[in-house]
Amino acid sequence: MDKRERLIQKLRNIAVQTPTAILEVPEKVEGFGSIKYRPEPCSVCKKCIEACEVEALDIDFTVQLPAYLDATIPEGGFRSKNRETLISLLQTLKGEGDVQAISVPTGLAGYGSVVWFTEKCIACNKCVEACPEDCLDLEKQYDLPTIIGDVVTPPSISITEWEPFIICFVCWECSHAAADLAGLMHLHYPANIRTVRVPCSGAVEPIQIMTAMENGVDGVLVTGCLLSECHYGGDDPLAGNFMQQDFVHFWQSVFEEIGLGGRLHIDFASAAMGIRFTEIVTEFVERIKKIGPSPLRGKLEVES
Amino acid sequence: MKKLFLCTCNGTLNKLLDFTKIGKEVKALYDVVEVVDNLCLEEGLTKLEKGLSEDDRLAIGACSSQIIGVPMKQRIKNDLVTFVPLREQVGWVHVEEKESATNKAIVLLSDASVQLDHMESPTEFTESVVDRVLVMGGGIAGLKAASDLHRLGVEVTLLEPSGQNNERYLQTSVFMSDTDTLINELQAIQKTLKKVERFEGTFGEVTGQTGSYDVTLNGVNGNEKIREYGAIIVASGNQQYLPRSAKKMRHGKSERVVTLDSLMSRLKKKRAKESSTILVAVDFDAPMFSVEGSHLLRSTRNLATRGYTIIVVHSDIRTEDENLYREARDSGVIFIRGKVTRIRENEKGLTCRIENTLESMEREVIADLVAIPQMVGPVNETALLADKLGVDCDNNGFIRTRYSKMKPVQTSRRGIFVAGGAKMPMSLSDAMASAQNAVLEAFKVVRSPLTRSGWIPVIDDEQCDVCKACLEACPNDALRLMDDRIVHVPAHCEFCGICVSACPTRAIEFQSHRKESWFARFEAVATTHRRLEGKKPFSFVFACSECANASIDQAGFAGKQYGTGSYVIQFPCAGMVSPIEILKGLVVGAEHVIVAHCPPGGCHHQTGDHLSELVVSFTRDMLREIGQDPERVQATYMIAAMPEKMQKEVPVRG
Ligand code: SF4
Ligand code: SF4
Ligand code: SF4
Ligand code: SF4
Repeated sequence: MDKRERLIQKLRNIAVQTPTAILEVPEKVEGFGSIKYRPEPCSVCKKCIEACEVEALDIDFTVQLPAYLDATIPEGGFRSKNRETLISLLQTLKGEGDVQAISVPTGLAGYGSVVWFTEKCIACNKCVEACPEDCLDLEKQYDLPTIIGDVVTPPSISITEWEPFIICFVCWECSHAAADLAGLMHLHYPANIRTVRVPCSGAVEPIQIMTAMENGVDGVLVTGCLLSECHYGGDDPLAGNFMQQDFVHFWQSVFEEIGLGGRLHIDFASAAMGIRFTEIVTEFVERIKKIGPSPLRGKLEVES
Repeated sequence: MKKLFLCTCNGTLNKLLDFTKIGKEVKALYDVVEVVDNLCLEEGLTKLEKGLSEDDRLAIGACSSQIIGVPMKQRIKNDLVTFVPLREQVGWVHVEEKESATNKAIVLLSDASVQLDHMESPTEFTESVVDRVLVMGGGIAGLKAASDLHRLGVEVTLLEPSGQNNERYLQTSVFMSDTDTLINELQAIQKTLKKVERFEGTFGEVTGQTGSYDVTLNGVNGNEKIREYGAIIVASGNQQYLPRSAKKMRHGKSERVVTLDSLMSRLKKKRAKESSTILVAVDFDAPMFSVEGSHLLRSTRNLATRGYTIIVVHSDIRTEDENLYREARDSGVIFIRGKVTRIRENEKGLTCRIENTLESMEREVIADLVAIPQMVGPVNETALLADKLGVDCDNNGFIRTRYSKMKPVQTSRRGIFVAGGAKMPMSLSDAMASAQNAVLEAFKVVRSPLTRSGWIPVIDDEQCDVCKACLEACPNDALRLMDDRIVHVPAHCEFCGICVSACPTRAIEFQSHRKESWFARFEAVATTHRRLEGKKPFSFVFACSECANASIDQAGFAGKQYGTGSYVIQFPCAGMVSPIEILKGLVVGAEHVIVAHCPPGGCHHQTGDHLSELVVSFTRDMLREIGQDPERVQATYMIAAMPEKMQKEVPVRG
């Protein structure tokens, strides 16, 4: 299984409700998106398929007549002139009734269309660049419903004595120092968190977050240096913490859709902000206490 | 200038068509319109010659291009010529409708004028040619081919399987003739081969095209070399094998059951001692080649004349020489039509039960020996060999030729020919003739500088997506991928235009038959038709220039009349028609579009008949889906032998 497949597998594992919304992908989040394909100018040259390294595209021996008939031919026409003529002739001849895609007879070269598999795509844009006919666009949308599919809600179990269990990723620059300072200052914060040191908040991978959730933690907290003070990029918009902020926002929207809303949070503290660190932790623990235990605890219980 | 010559066909055509009206209507379309009485005779041809300058564009409204085209070619050199068969496709098929027929003539002449506007000068191309031929031998035809080529002064390599010698040649050719003739022929040919390069071994890769093929030769002692050849002749010969029924006949179990050939060589010229009976059991189910039949008859006659009692149990015996059958009978061979169903061996001999299929009764015969005639097939390696050469095999595993009557030695790949038994089992004389034929074709390839000219498919690299659709569709290996570009190899091209119909981008277009030319022509037909005939419906017949066009001409000769609103548009091959031309035909207003191709398997360019059926069925699917009547588009085959086809296919109304 490659990385993407593992991630999606984990997402399916932790989903407790069927997602319904197509998500917007924040600007800095790469690797997630949707390919929009226009069949009408496509010459079926397979350049996109050859360019895709993860086999997220394939040839389909059907002709998308509905798209052909709906197409508006741009002023300069399509690059595929024969396709353009075919489409305009079909539009001229169009009679009554609904139109459906038809299959191409075996042995007839030059016709067909391209299919895209959302769960395989890593939104690398290579196909878009390879296409000579400008049929493809990479859009900042993520088709979560298709990827996750139908979810069976796990049984809820009653937990009487419960204290939240939270994983907190701290970068080993500022936020770890802040946590240390909080200790030195004998500041008090709840004992519900376990810290995991990472080089930079930007280095936390989604798969790690999902693994934590999969194992029944009630919430995941990511902390980093103050924005614009990342040790790996400073005020560059692509610095680790800026990036991670967008990523966490993306995963928060995913969590919202799959029934884990509110269980993921990102915040920032400098090495001098021991008090702020204590506040961040306390607020998150309070929030999780309100939401209650992870619904996945029930699932884990049933499985074990 | 654009000129039109109309022929009255000795004062007959102008009785069927109103030439005055025609002249008036087309005057504006041509710079010169001239009416001649006998364009095909000296007087007419002289007029034509005098009235033309070299760069004129010319339309001929006369008889079929098959007729008038021939004398014309010898007299005028103009490249831009089109023929409108006003006699066969108008006057003779619409005798009762002079007015409509005249209108149809005007429509077709308007089309011809547009066609001339779009005509391009043919492209001339020259290819380099290697003056050397490779004969892939093994059969006696290979020896003959090598010998003939050598005599013609062509350098030749005779590639033979390892261990090949005269005895093997004899053994594998035994069915081709009587033994003495064979031995004499073999010895005579071998003598002429003294100076021919012979190579023992096999071959590996074959690349290139007609005129220059690179062949890797693998010698028996491990030496390998790559040589260039202009042409290749496959003459790998035959192999004999036991029919399936041999086992049931106790072959291999009983010493008294042997193959007919081994019996022949065992008995040599011996006469029968007493009366010994030999039963010849022919496999009942396997079809017989006529050479096999002749060989059977020759062998059994030979035995019978030496005093043996011969009973031949057979189904159908085919032979190219009826006399052989008579002679065998006269020498006492007994023929029983039927099937040997069981053989039992005891001290008296072999008790054979024969089921007589004619009289549907059984009988038993006691024989001293049972002889089984062997069957003849291609040598084992034929399939592998064909694969390496990139040529096709037929269902029996022999090398397939393009169309056996017209090009009997041409394989599916240009510059590669087949001689003798590799194509099918042949008699010695047929094999020799086929070898000569192949030599002639190979000679033509290696000796003519490959300068040809014609309209070719041209590729616009800028426009091309390298989708390879054209390459997949080309039946002649005339398009190839080189450095991520599609390259046209004119030496292999047959100018069928099949590639053009496959291209989604229009990066490949056929000279003179560009899409815009078809469109302009269809529009010219439609507008002229409407101007003259008002609302009367009309149809297009997209006819291939081979069988379909011949069939439509024949309809004229046979007087098979059909509706006047039917406009025949000639395509080089029906495979060039794509859904675009068909739909355009409907869009300009045709009620029907009929795509007429050669009979199944008879396409002169190999796949056009099949492809045009696919294109039509695909177009019909699209029409059905968009709410149009798919019956408006049809595909059908037409052949000269069926002049009534046009009458049947063209809807009466138009
Ligand atoms: S964006 Fe990348 S992964 Fe997705 S389909 Fe295109 S080439 Fe494949
Ligand atoms: S989408 Fe573009 S690259 Fe892919 S087959 Fe179609 S034209 Fe070619
Ligand atoms: S015209 Fe015919 S033979 Fe020539 S390249 Fe095209 S498909 Fe091949
Ligand atoms: S079919 Fe057209 S686009 Fe495709 S490779 Fe051939 S010429 Fe190029």
